Amino acid sequence: MEAYLIAILIVTAIYVLLSLGLTLQYGLTGLINFGHVGFFCIGAYAAAILSTAGSMPIAVGLVAGMLLAGLAAIPIGLVALRLRDDYFAIVTLGFSETVRLVITSEGWLTKGVQGIPGIPKLIDGVGTGPALMILALVGFANILAVIAFLRIVKSPFGRMIEAIRDNEDAVKALGKDPARFKIQVLVLGAVLAGLSGGFYAHYIGYVSPDQFLPIVTFYVWMAIIMGGVGRISGALVGTLLLMGFLEGSRFLRDLLPFISAVEMASIRIGAVGLALILFTIYRPQGLMGDYTRRK
Amino acid sequence: MAFWIELLISGLVAGLVIGLSALSITLVFGIARFPNAATGDTMTVGAYGALLGHRATNSLLVGGLTGAIAGAIVGFLGYWFIFRKLAQRSNVALLVASIGLAFVLRAILGVSFGHSQQVFQLPLVRPWRIGDVPVHPNDLVLAGACATILAIVFAILHLTPIGRRMRAVADDPALARVSGISPSSVMTVLWLLAGAVSASAGIVAGIKTVVSPEMGWDLLLPAFAAAIVGGIGSPVGAVVAGLLIGVVQEMATPLVGFTYKIALSFLLMLVVLLVRPRGLFGKLEGAR
Amino acid sequence: MTIDRRIILQAGASALALGLAPQGAFAQAEAYRIGALNPVTGAGSPYGSGMAEMIFAAVDEVNAAGGAAGRRLQVFADDTQTNPQSAVLAAKKLIEVNKVNAILGTWSSGVSLAVIPLVNDANILLMHTSGAPALSTPPANAKGYGYRFQATNDRFGRAFAEIAVKEGYKRPVTMAFNNASGIGNTQGFKKAWEAKGNKVLAEVVYEPNQPSYRAELQKVLAARPDVIVMGSFLPDTTIILREAFQSGANVKWIIPGWAANPQLIRALGNEATEGVISVDSVANEQSASFARYDAAYRKGQSQPGASNVYAAMTYDMVITLALAIEAAGPGAGTAQINAKIREVANPAGDKVFSFAEGKTALAAGKKINYEGASSVLDFDEFGDVTPDFGVFFITKGQLERRYVVKI
Repeated sequence: MEAYLIAILIVTAIYVLLSLGLTLQYGLTGLINFGHVGFFCIGAYAAAILSTAGSMPIAVGLVAGMLLAGLAAIPIGLVALRLRDDYFAIVTLGFSETVRLVITSEGWLTKGVQGIPGIPKLIDGVGTGPALMILALVGFANILAVIAFLRIVKSPFGRMIEAIRDNEDAVKALGKDPARFKIQVLVLGAVLAGLSGGFYAHYIGYVSPDQFLPIVTFYVWMAIIMGGVGRISGALVGTLLLMGFLEGSRFLRDLLPFISAVEMASIRIGAVGLALILFTIYRPQGLMGDYTRRK
Repeated sequence: MAFWIELLISGLVAGLVIGLSALSITLVFGIARFPNAATGDTMTVGAYGALLGHRATNSLLVGGLTGAIAGAIVGFLGYWFIFRKLAQRSNVALLVASIGLAFVLRAILGVSFGHSQQVFQLPLVRPWRIGDVPVHPNDLVLAGACATILAIVFAILHLTPIGRRMRAVADDPALARVSGISPSSVMTVLWLLAGAVSASAGIVAGIKTVVSPEMGWDLLLPAFAAAIVGGIGSPVGAVVAGLLIGVVQEMATPLVGFTYKIALSFLLMLVVLLVRPRGLFGKLEGAR
Repeated sequence: MTIDRRIILQAGASALALGLAPQGAFAQAEAYRIGALNPVTGAGSPYGSGMAEMIFAAVDEVNAAGGAAGRRLQVFADDTQTNPQSAVLAAKKLIEVNKVNAILGTWSSGVSLAVIPLVNDANILLMHTSGAPALSTPPANAKGYGYRFQATNDRFGRAFAEIAVKEGYKRPVTMAFNNASGIGNTQGFKKAWEAKGNKVLAEVVYEPNQPSYRAELQKVLAARPDVIVMGSFLPDTTIILREAFQSGANVKWIIPGWAANPQLIRALGNEATEGVISVDSVANEQSASFARYDAAYRKGQSQPGASNVYAAMTYDMVITLALAIEAAGPGAGTAQINAKIREVANPAGDKVFSFAEGKTALAAGKKINYEGASSVLDFDEFGDVTPDFGVFFITKGQLERRYVVKI
């Protein structure tokens, strides 16, 4: 039983990292990123390609994934500054789909739709010992991310971001350029997503383009909306709720046998939708609160 | 030469679907002021509604009506239970809620109809030929239907009092309220209309391809792109941009390949947003 | 107090002994645990529940005949959701919580590719119905514990090439759905076709969920082909055939059996589907094993067994595995059982069509050759089946099998 729980915790930790990235972006800048899975995908594929075809050590792949995801965020950030938030959301959706199209088409690099199998594990070996070590590793990365998050928020950089959030015009009047700061936060969030993607690739051992559909971005949004937007604890709680929901539906069928198994997939997506609606209406918890100036 | 003309025609027909759904998006965006991500799944509802109507009566006209009515009802219910409650909130809240609605609609359709494909049982016919180019009578009928729908939408917007009020709200909501225009009647008509229009897009798509619970969502992004390229709030713009995107995607295919052609609509949208945010026909509202 | 402690210690020790003692010390040998890991939800959901049900049905059959090597078969079922991440978690649960000795019935290539490393690490067998070529060879199948009960996509493609030659086609083009299976089919065709010194005139790979496939069709039709070879699925085949017919194209089609099936005919009507060639691996429809499977499937799912070819495969998985366990004898581990699989399923030996038959023959010291419901189950060196292919022509709205292709 413990081995199964450890496996779930590892996947949860990977998703917490992903959620932290989105929380950073949305919480500090108010930018609506509907393309978060694109950064996740870049990190996963970078790690996959470098550790299989490139035969490089795992650490290299992970770092490369973080860097590439961060770099990809820069043009997104530049675009963000020119657009209203809802337009930006649509553009980011296009971004993640474009990433997926590129991965699908450039088979010489990514093996296209066949996917990349045989990605080495983070820590070799069978059984509970190595599994716990993997959990410790991903958990440690999470802790580092949280520390970094808190340091940023409390630093002069962080204070600048809050100032921008509270009164962007005043900041501009002081001669500071908010754009640069927003882009930096966007990049940091993308870096976390890229790292999360790398861990994911090494854990599941196989990546293919259809594992990086927009639904993943919306799962993460659901997690942070439920947990409480813009807060670290929110990312953690929300992701736990999300994983509980996704894995729990496996056991739900035993409790509700009259639901055809086939329809469980529909019910799952319906529940995600309902959660989004209900939380948006009744419990936004700062979802659209003071974090964005533009209404 | 015939090769390119055929591609052009194929692009125009694909563009009809994109244009109609973009029309629905632009109506909502212009008047309710948010991008409605449930448009795609409202299309799917329309397709299934039409399927039921067609199966019951073997008349495509009846099917079209049942589909449009289904879409209108869904549009209205979405407004009544969800969007109305979020009226004072930011447009992002509305966008997120519309995504939630999209998922719920898809789940309901999946449970009700299953995931395997359904088709409109229509007789297949060979095409007419004009010179070297095959022209399909069904395409002409669909094009005619779309033109009719567009005409109806225009008639409502420009020839009826409620339409006048809708345009006033689109132009300047604060002023409209001050002038005593009640928002709820405008919104009700808007959502009924937008629902019916997206349903028609879904019906056309369903006739040309197959009906399945995911079909609407897959067509959503090009529709958004068209609404933006055409200029938010401009019905003409939405349809023209839809046709444009359809044509560009098909005619560029020999150059960019069948996978990347999908990315063209995003690219076009991005370029327009950065270079001319109000789109082809939009007012100077600004995307910023 | 001392007495209590001693009693507790003694109780504890005997409990420990009970737990550790091989259950062979008791009346029965330890049950053989099977993990049924199927796509109950997700893209594979049309097949998944039938696949799971047939595993249960076959297990009941084996247990009714007295089990394999004195061991009762036990099933633990889980859902892959046709998604690798979910499948990995489910597989971990089956391996680590339920301690299964084999996993049967993974369907999508992504799932099998994600699960096979876990199976290798745990030293257990994986029997699947996926098409990806990577599953045959190292690193995925380095230990030889993976068995594929479905013809590889590549094989389908080769069959297409044989058919094209036989029907006298000279100008083929291909259209492939952009996923591993679709591309596998058309690439298999191309390789085999070119090996005969011919050329494929045009190739198109198309994306799913498009509002129209006219541009794609136009490209292949521009080469003026006499036949279009497809690596496709039902929805896109429906759209493409309809558009081809309505654009006046006059061309023949070779399509995999899962796409060119009665549903396609119902959707498009007789005229548009007349003459379409549908190719499927031969389920041994005439055999007694198919009859047993069909009866079980009809009972459980109220549909003919032929409607779910993957369920026939999972049924065969259990029977083949059970016969191998029986042949390996009591106390056998994975490696010993693995060594017997080809022995009980491949030719040379008396043909048997059920577990009971096989068990009796093995007891009499004979070599057997189990012929299954899904195919004759002759495994090559990669653990892949090498079935024959039935060639069906759609004639007046019916699928008529005209001949069989062996490759």
